[in-house]
Amino acid sequence: MGRLFWKFFVAFWLASVLVGFSIFGLTWLLRWLEPDGKQSYEAERMVLALNSTAAVLGQADVAGARALLGSLVQQGVKPEIYVVDESGRELLGRTLPAADRRDWRLVGDNSYTRVVQPSGHRYVVFARQSEAEAALSKARPMPPPAAIPWIVVLLVSLGIAWRLARHFSRPIRSLRSAIRSMAEGKLDTRVAPIHPRHEDEISELGHDFNRMAQRLQQLVGAQQRLLHDVSHELRSPLARLQAAIGLARQRPDIASLELMLERIERESGRLDSLVGELLTLARLESGAGQIVRETVDLVELVTAIADDARFEAESNERQLVLEGSGEFVTFVGAELLYRAFENVIRNAVKFTQAGSCVTVRLHAGAERFTLEVLDRGPGVDPGLLEDIFQPFHRAGAGGVEGFGLGLAIAQRAVQTHGGEIGASLRDGGGLAVQISLPRTPAPA
Amino acid sequence: MHRVLLVDDDIELSAMLAEYFRQEGYMVSAVHDGEQGVTTALSGRHDIVILDVMMPRLTGVEVLRQIRQHSRMPVLMLTARGDDIDRILGLELGADDYVPKPCTPRELVARVRAILRRGSEPSAAPSDTAGTISSGPLTLWPKRLTAHWQGRPLELTATEFRLLETLARQAGQIVSKQTMSESALGRPLARFDRSIDVHISSIRHKLGIRADGRTWIQTVRGQGYLLVKD
Repeated sequence: MGRLFWKFFVAFWLASVLVGFSIFGLTWLLRWLEPDGKQSYEAERMVLALNSTAAVLGQADVAGARALLGSLVQQGVKPEIYVVDESGRELLGRTLPAADRRDWRLVGDNSYTRVVQPSGHRYVVFARQSEAEAALSKARPMPPPAAIPWIVVLLVSLGIAWRLARHFSRPIRSLRSAIRSMAEGKLDTRVAPIHPRHEDEISELGHDFNRMAQRLQQLVGAQQRLLHDVSHELRSPLARLQAAIGLARQRPDIASLELMLERIERESGRLDSLVGELLTLARLESGAGQIVRETVDLVELVTAIADDARFEAESNERQLVLEGSGEFVTFVGAELLYRAFENVIRNAVKFTQAGSCVTVRLHAGAERFTLEVLDRGPGVDPGLLEDIFQPFHRAGAGGVEGFGLGLAIAQRAVQTHGGEIGASLRDGGGLAVQISLPRTPAPA
Repeated sequence: MHRVLLVDDDIELSAMLAEYFRQEGYMVSAVHDGEQGVTTALSGRHDIVILDVMMPRLTGVEVLRQIRQHSRMPVLMLTARGDDIDRILGLELGADDYVPKPCTPRELVARVRAILRRGSEPSAAPSDTAGTISSGPLTLWPKRLTAHWQGRPLELTATEFRLLETLARQAGQIVSKQTMSESALGRPLARFDRSIDVHISSIRHKLGIRADGRTWIQTVRGQGYLLVKD
């Protein structure tokens, strides 16, 4: 039981004990102030009947007393009232068991009374001993002792406080142990559903924790994959470098030496550009904070890239057509977007079939700039359309230059600027990449 | 002349390595994916396979598994440096040795030479029983690379054979891992190198358990291994 448990427990318990005590204490006080009435209703009624009968007899009204007794008997009032005169006769002629006749004197004061009429006749008015005793002993129910409700209050509040404190502290403890195990690097940690039948804020906390854990696991997994891919990508040019050096050592004649040096140069160039692309990607992934923004016209930017790419395409028996014109001046990281557009357009030129044409279509709207790059290349598997933006994903089989970082860089650059990038398959073969960017006004 | 099969998806690297090996007097063919690697290796026209672990589609480990189902031919794995899992898995599946990539071609040739050295000794007729080694239920014919265990043929890779041979030549004595590495793998033992242990564990598995419940090859902690002599 943690400290939180006891805090909840004690606070809630004290609160409910206090409330319970004040309610019970108040009612107890009220009852204490009430006039005492300890006799039972039957006893009161018996005394009343006795006194009335005695009073009527005392007025020498024997007939009235008889009528009163008769009506009491008729109404079934218990205990029955009997009246006996000095000769031992009962007023209504009822017979009495011998025991009652003999012992009525022993009964408490309230159960009989003597009446002497002005004429000198004497009567005894009484209730039967056993019945009178029963009525008199049956006191009005006593209120339970004050300790009982207090103990009940204590126990009930104890139970409720316990439940409540557990309700809060248990999920928090399970969350805590989950967070600890995450901190130890077990990223597959999840918490079991909390209060699954009664969803509340704490259950939502559990759901949020699980979502966070899943996201973290994905991110760390992606980072590890990236690191793995990077080391693999670095390894290949290094292995080729070493092979080239080995060959140069093996045949130290000038001609083959020259050939190997050329290879070594090419491989180190590759390493250099790989490292450059990785750094760009890392910068983009680490956040948008360090982007150097400037005011540029994106249409102009794309036109410049398209001109360069057209030159390259035409020297490889491919064509490039630029559609759309206008002006879209915005405040962006120009170098990043230049790279993004260049990567997408050069990719298209690289993959489009010999003799086919790459279409670069731009549209400068009022609020958005859109760019579409369409090629006639092999396209990709429809299920992998998302994956081509993953680092080191290579669309083509072997033999294609590049590390598979171009589209990944493009995607992150566009997303950093609040834009969208997507790929789709073209009718008639080939790939279409769409980029859409919002206008960012330059700060005043 | 030894025939080397190179299985690596890096076409340029394969070309350069092939050239290097040719200069060193080997015949080399290169294939660039796993499926082709398996079929070419099993064609029986090669003496050794150099297998890159990192390949798209069919990985080197899977290629090795498929080769080992049909052949005991020597296999040298090119593993990623620092990737212990692939290395141990490769050795457990019966690779003869591994070279971390990137490596110099000289190192690669030296390793291939070490693995093939045994086979390059004056070729022996199957009936040649000279140099036969016997120790208890074990009989080895080093020139034919064949072994019998308790009267039955024992299937061993070339490296396993040479490790067992080293132990059998000094049966009942402790042989250090360093000695074993030099005589069986043709190279000094690297630090934290578990290759010998993995190979020994594989041989142990093939030899089974002694009647007294102990293994035939005992580990002497900190010193090496020992083949129990009856």
